[in-house]
Amino acid sequence: MLAMVSVGLWGAFLGRPLIVALPVIFPTVMVVGAGLAMAGVPAPPTEIGIAFSVLLLGAAIALAWRAPIWAASLIVGVFALFHGYAHGKELPSAADPVGYAVGFVLATGMLHVCGIAIGLINNRPGGVVLTRIMGGGVATAGLFFLWLALR
Amino acid sequence: MRGGALPPALLFAALGMALAFAPRRIIAPSLILALAAAIAASFLRVATTWEDPIFLGCWISMVGAAALVHLPGGPRSVWVLLLALDCGLWAGAVIAAAGTRLDLAVAAPALLVCIPGAWLVATGRGIVVKVAASWLIAIGILAGGLQFAPVTPGYKPDHMD
Repeated sequence: MLAMVSVGLWGAFLGRPLIVALPVIFPTVMVVGAGLAMAGVPAPPTEIGIAFSVLLLGAAIALAWRAPIWAASLIVGVFALFHGYAHGKELPSAADPVGYAVGFVLATGMLHVCGIAIGLINNRPGGVVLTRIMGGGVATAGLFFLWLALR
Repeated sequence: MRGGALPPALLFAALGMALAFAPRRIIAPSLILALAAAIAASFLRVATTWEDPIFLGCWISMVGAAALVHLPGGPRSVWVLLLALDCGLWAGAVIAAAGTRLDLAVAAPALLVCIPGAWLVATGRGIVVKVAASWLIAIGILAGGLQFAPVTPGYKPDHMD
């Protein structure tokens, strides 16, 4: 959840076209990850990938990293693979896979929109500092998740 | 369980988003055409063996309709009418295969997505519709792709049942 909000927050921080591109790239690549999981393709430990995504996205916001379009898209795309893989593992066994797919894609999208909405404070005085502090909080949480995953 | 109102509602929502980018004069005829086609197709008698291809057709149409929003300049009138007919037929077929006509009544209001969509497009915020359409594309690929996964989907009985 933190990673999804962070994608929107980072997109808002980076401005156009990434503010729009990242919420499109993430669910689209997530589908690829889910497809790999449904096809039974083995992947590296998803828990570590997800924890690492929270850490790196939080750090990118905290450090106010203005990544070039290709780098931001690549980073978000790679992390979306892990998130999609985790969902895709569970999707086939759902009694209502369509409802499951709708739920996770729309929830992901809405969390991005929440991140973008939070990122609107960047336009206010001191807003960028507040956003960076939030990014620091997300990165700290990511570090904790990573420690839990590696334990 | 994979029938009910959700698949036709998603298909209608995708059509509604495509209509948001269509010429204004074609929106109402397209809505009527889609609804009429859906009602007509819902009376079809569908064999159980046809369920998978019908759902696949529904998801392909949904992905196609949602992808049309990215067409530069919006879709042409004739394409929109054909799309409305196609979406209506698949929505009705899905209802005939795994739903009731009450489900169709529940799903039909999703077509009205075209009203706020057209307003967003007219006010220069069509990108919002495009983002939402990309989410529908993702859902369609996932739901359609599941039929090709080498696993028993949760809605089908397996050796545990």
